[in-house]
Amino acid sequence: MSESGGPDVTQELRLPWDDDPEDLYEHAPCGYLTTLPDGTIVRVNETFLTWTGYARTDLIGHKRFRDLLTPGDQIFHETHYAPLLTMQGEVHEIALDVVRADRSRVPTLVNAVLESGPNGTPRIIRTMIFNATERRRYERELLGSRRAAESSEQRVRVLQQIVADLAAAPTEAEVAEAVIRAPEPAFQAASSSIFLVDPERDELVAVSSTDPTTGNWDDMPRSSTRAVAEVARRGDLHVIATVAEAEEHFPDLAESMRRSERKTVVLLPLTTGPAEEHGAVAVLGVLAFSFREERVLTDGELRVIRLLGQQAGQALDRARLYDEGRRREDRSSFLARTTRALDEQHRLLQRARRLVERVVPEIADWALVRLQVGPAGLVEYHGGPAPDPELLDARVAEAVETCAPVYAGDGDGLDCTVLPLTVRGRVIGTLALRMAPDRRGAGADRLFLVDLADRAALALENARLYEQERAIARTLQRSLLAADVPGADSRFALETHYQAAAQDLEVGGDWYDAFLITANKLAVVVGDVVGRGIDAATTMGQLRSAIRALATAENGPARLLEGLDRFCERVESARMATVVYAEIDLLSGELAYATAGHLPLLLHEPAGPPQYLMQARSAPLGSRAGDRRRVEDRIRLTGGSRLLLYTDGLIERRGRGLDRGFEILAREFSRLRDAPLKGLTAGLADILVGRDHGDDVCMLCLSLGTEERLERSIGADPVQISRLRADMRGWMAGHGIDPDCLNAVLLASSEAVANAIEHGYRDDPFGMVDVSATISADAVEVRVSDHGAWRGPGADLARGRGLQLIYESMDEVSFDQGEGTTVTMRRHRGAR
Amino acid sequence: MTDHWVSFSRRGTAELVHLKGEIDLANANDIGRAIVARTTGADAVVIDLTAVSFLDSAGVRLLDFIVGDLDDRRKPVRLVVGEHGAARMTLQLCSFRSDLLATDLDRAAEELDR
Repeated sequence: MSESGGPDVTQELRLPWDDDPEDLYEHAPCGYLTTLPDGTIVRVNETFLTWTGYARTDLIGHKRFRDLLTPGDQIFHETHYAPLLTMQGEVHEIALDVVRADRSRVPTLVNAVLESGPNGTPRIIRTMIFNATERRRYERELLGSRRAAESSEQRVRVLQQIVADLAAAPTEAEVAEAVIRAPEPAFQAASSSIFLVDPERDELVAVSSTDPTTGNWDDMPRSSTRAVAEVARRGDLHVIATVAEAEEHFPDLAESMRRSERKTVVLLPLTTGPAEEHGAVAVLGVLAFSFREERVLTDGELRVIRLLGQQAGQALDRARLYDEGRRREDRSSFLARTTRALDEQHRLLQRARRLVERVVPEIADWALVRLQVGPAGLVEYHGGPAPDPELLDARVAEAVETCAPVYAGDGDGLDCTVLPLTVRGRVIGTLALRMAPDRRGAGADRLFLVDLADRAALALENARLYEQERAIARTLQRSLLAADVPGADSRFALETHYQAAAQDLEVGGDWYDAFLITANKLAVVVGDVVGRGIDAATTMGQLRSAIRALATAENGPARLLEGLDRFCERVESARMATVVYAEIDLLSGELAYATAGHLPLLLHEPAGPPQYLMQARSAPLGSRAGDRRRVEDRIRLTGGSRLLLYTDGLIERRGRGLDRGFEILAREFSRLRDAPLKGLTAGLADILVGRDHGDDVCMLCLSLGTEERLERSIGADPVQISRLRADMRGWMAGHGIDPDCLNAVLLASSEAVANAIEHGYRDDPFGMVDVSATISADAVEVRVSDHGAWRGPGADLARGRGLQLIYESMDEVSFDQGEGTTVTMRRHRGAR
Repeated sequence: MTDHWVSFSRRGTAELVHLKGEIDLANANDIGRAIVARTTGADAVVIDLTAVSFLDSAGVRLLDFIVGDLDDRRKPVRLVVGEHGAARMTLQLCSFRSDLLATDLDRAAEELDR
């Protein structure tokens, strides 16, 4: 105590920094522990006790240092701390959590030193413990901000990727797919959905979602009270942070948030236009994303979200323009292709068919075209499913009545747009199209459909006109060609053939004609008028009549052609027509002929090879440049001669010279010398032009006079038998054979040929049957030979109804079987 | 395809078959099929051959078959042929039963209808 009553500092006088070592130990700013080598606490300072809340007596002699650690740190103590201390004699800055008396933890940093005795054996451990609570917090913050930086970096990376994807996305759908992928990696959203504005229908359409079980997936009108529509109208980012907040502003959203267990929802309008001028932005869609927990978004995140909205909006805008451009291009290309495809078909039915096949599936799922042609009309359809027929009829009637398209409406139960097909103000039919709702409705589409209908109407009307003209021309031509050529005259026989071009073209101007000028003078004509279609058919009719009028007993071929030249002065369309004309005197067998620019006659006399008659040639009718001095030639024909008149379609063929054509025709005509006249011209056409030919073929074959001896070879085909009969009938009639005998010979000959085909050539479809017949004053003799091997049940010659008929109808019958079989049959003339 | 050669009509209960043109190996089978399709189940059949310009053994075989079929079913049948002509000649040469042949279509049909 001091005299002044102040503190007695004399005895205990110390400087403030002159610490009492004991006090320093007890109240040092860190904890001290002294433990035995096994960890048992033998000394502890006050500071440690204050931090941990233990009493000194709790620890000394009762606890080891490691008993004060958390279970995890106890393991660390055993595996690292203690071994390190033993090996190194000290440890530094080991972070350990010490468990307080109240079980709470104190983060600490620990240094320890192992004191050893003079002989090196461990004596005690001195441990110094720093309270590291503050330091740990700092470390945690450091870690937190590093994580934040990382997540921001990741967000930026995700957004960069999305912006790149957006730039590359050419369609709305792809933009939507790119945008919807953003919120989950960038903001750890649980799910996201995207709605796009459909300006045509004034709707918001739910396009895509990463979790479609959330939310309401119906499309909604833009005027809807639903949150998405509201945000689209406002054009502003909305963060609905809690369900309660949603409850207040958007009950529909609160409902779906509760249902899908979402706590925070972000509604981001996808906008385009200048961001600064509010109200000038256009909203093209809304991106909605949500979180399972209540999520607070930082200003930085909100900035990034807004940016995403703008980027996506711009990408959508670009894609829409691009889509629109491409759609326009597609449509105009479709129209062009369709028009071209329709043009390829000339016929009405085929053209209508092609129309519906073009339209489905490119434009519609089902299409039906109806045309008001003919008594029944024309209907062609394609695709499916077909709509209700009654509703469709009503709509078709409406379209026809109003002469205006009736477009499909939502929920009209029909889904059909009906377009009137109008030409020159007249409705010629309708085109009904059934399209899925997402394929129709746009204003541009309507213009396109009207355009399509106009083009289709024109194409179909043209086909209809073509069809009409074609039908008239064909009828006219048929009526002219079908006019009976003279027959039933034993002095001559005629065979004609007309074959229209295989490609479905208009009728040509080829014709043939044959008529008797006088009782003993026969005229035959083949001609070819320039051009096709109804004009050619009409002109051909006129020329045909003119020839019939000009052909008189006195005129002769050359004068007839001169007359036709004069005719051409008045009938311009007949100019340049070509004609081959011949007159045959049936008494003398004299042939007079003339050709005007036409292919030469082909004559085959019984003896010798066929020859082209190259005389009496002059220019086509009415020709101005050609030699129009009409000349004629005369030649006497022997009985049994065949004369062929034909048009160029028979010998002209692409890739084959005309000379070659002449050569082949002569060869084939010669080869068929023994074939029956009936079917000869058709046979020639088959051989020379086949079925696939581009031009009409017209032929007339005249067989003159009566052959003394009938020689025919026919193929082993039952159809040939009737042709043979036709020849034999004419031949016998020409020789004045009485009907009973004639019928009997025909029957026996037919049976003999049938036997040859049925039995001789049972296995040989290419076999030939030779028939020769002669007529004498008192009898007809026929010989039928084959080269086949008779086999089978019919080979029993004595049996069979056919043989019976031969025996019954003929007077003498003999069989000769050597190389094949020859039947010789004879029947006396006159009644039996 | 056989319309060219064959057509049908009815007279009372009788089925009338009208044949025309040349009937031979080439077309007899087709014509036969067309006729049988129509006469199977008929109660009476009259086959009019007056317009047939040629008839060969294939045609005879065909007629024989049809007649046989109707006989089996005990249904009456008549073949009408002209006084002359190819069909009559062939059938006579084949010795068809004279009770089958008639010369007048109407009378034949009437007889069968009775």
